[in-house]
Amino acid sequence: MQPTDNEQPPPGQSLAVVAESLYLVNLLLLPGFAFIALLLLYWRHIGQTSPLARCHLEQTLFASLWAGVLLILANIAILLLGGYDAAYTWVVLVLYFTAVHTTLVILGTIGLAKAMAGKPFEYPLLGKKCHGL
Amino acid sequence: MQYQSQMAAKPYFIAAILLFVGQIVFGLIMGLQYVIGDFLFPEIPFNVARMVHTNLLIVWLLFGFMGATYYLVPEEAETELHSTKLAYILFWIFLGAGVVTVLGYLLVPYATLARITGNEILPTMGREFLEQPTIIKIGLVLVILGFLYNTTITILKGRKTVVSWVLLLGLWGLAIFFLFAFYNPHNLVLDKYYWWWVVHLWVEGVWELIMGAILAFVLIKLTGVDREVVEKWLYVIIAMTLLTGIIGTGHHYYWIGTPEYWQWWGSIFSALEPIPFFMMVIFAFNMANKRRRQHPNKAAMLWAIGTPVMAFLGAGVWGFLHTLAPVNFYTHGSQITAAHGHMAFYGAYVMIVLAIISYAMPMLRGRAAANSDKSQVIEMWSFWLMTVSMVFITLFLTGAGILQIWLQRIGENPQSFMVVQEKISLFYWMREVAGVIFLIGLVLYVISFFIGGEERTAPAKA
Repeated sequence: MQPTDNEQPPPGQSLAVVAESLYLVNLLLLPGFAFIALLLLYWRHIGQTSPLARCHLEQTLFASLWAGVLLILANIAILLLGGYDAAYTWVVLVLYFTAVHTTLVILGTIGLAKAMAGKPFEYPLLGKKCHGL
Repeated sequence: MQYQSQMAAKPYFIAAILLFVGQIVFGLIMGLQYVIGDFLFPEIPFNVARMVHTNLLIVWLLFGFMGATYYLVPEEAETELHSTKLAYILFWIFLGAGVVTVLGYLLVPYATLARITGNEILPTMGREFLEQPTIIKIGLVLVILGFLYNTTITILKGRKTVVSWVLLLGLWGLAIFFLFAFYNPHNLVLDKYYWWWVVHLWVEGVWELIMGAILAFVLIKLTGVDREVVEKWLYVIIAMTLLTGIIGTGHHYYWIGTPEYWQWWGSIFSALEPIPFFMMVIFAFNMANKRRRQHPNKAAMLWAIGTPVMAFLGAGVWGFLHTLAPVNFYTHGSQITAAHGHMAFYGAYVMIVLAIISYAMPMLRGRAAANSDKSQVIEMWSFWLMTVSMVFITLFLTGAGILQIWLQRIGENPQSFMVVQEKISLFYWMREVAGVIFLIGLVLYVISFFIGGEERTAPAKA
């Protein structure tokens, strides 16, 4: 399906866009706060929404949880294993954090663009399968 | 190709690619000199190789922008170029000036070059990126004026579109800010202050407008999305670019002797500078998702989508990494800056020029819309080789930079610059290997234009 600009947006598109935006805000602006907002949005709408919105809600929630693991826990592990005072700890940590964080952000922008186009999007490796689409 | 005068773009694109190859060769020479200090010494000293590497970059990108303009403007304005002859004359003058400058760098000691070109009459030489002899700078101004006259008249007499206005604004900005290259005060603080008006306000200001306009044009052509949609995005992107980029100049004023308030202004506004790049990523993916036609030039689409992604990474993320004053206090002038510079230039400007060349060149060479599948496969290989190797160049330089900062500026026993350079040489070796792969990718890009096969036909509806 190739939606055009004049077509009616598919049901649940706005919710899908909000979910993807909150995923990105969580990564870029308000970590934690935006995740709580995404969690509330998920609980409130997951049972009664369209397949498109459900897909984006599930994707963003699970990707956000993975982002937490990849960005917080893995970095704590790097620090603990390498030691705060070791030069190479910081080489690994900064490179790892930057590479993973930007990858997650790029995936989020693809997800947001898909949501804006009324299409589903599955986060590679991180997201759940989208059903009913 | 709709207008005969668009052919004027072709020599500009060819020259751009040839000079690009030269730039990468000198980059590799310099990369090797980081680890083998006397490599090619005294024939090509490090400072000369660096000057040629950076100057060729600027010159070939300008060739690319000019070629893009000559291709884009007639189609946007729906009229032939005001003077095709002028475009060709300016091409040869510009190419001649560029070649003479590079030969001057390579064959004559820099001080001698300054003397024989009359630098003492109006001293402008000796500053990073603006090393060109004054007489060459004057020639460049004349070329740009002729180019602006040609394109402005064309746009004024034809259809006015947002794409062509944004492009024109960027090009006029480019010309105006270059004039600060002629202002060379004795006070070093003032000198640096205005030097950034050329360097920063080019790459983090007006060049972004040029990039945005070219990207918008290519995406309109490749996706068939309504012009109105693209134009709305373009308005917001250029507004954010100017809003953040102009005062963002302050991130260069932290430590040069300017008032302390620049540390606040520079930090706040330059922290916002990734926003327009981020918007460009969403814009490009959005256009791709909403496309109404399957353009046969898949390679051009790949470049067009890759441009904002890599620009966001290089200019946005790697820029943000060291832009806040408290961070920059430690990272200033380290290999972190080199990492940022490499990926930002590649993502924002190299890729957009390659995108328009990829889109336009098949038609400039008489094909209906695109090269053969075989040719495009090679071109897409070149995209991935260049892009992935640039990611690795950036990561290796970042690693080198972090270690450099730690050993030189943070550790308990700070070590001297040259001692640290020795200790981070492994990263330089890895960067050199990645650079060789980049060159292979570039050679494949060139080769792709010479691969025949059945050409792809005109765009099909999605």
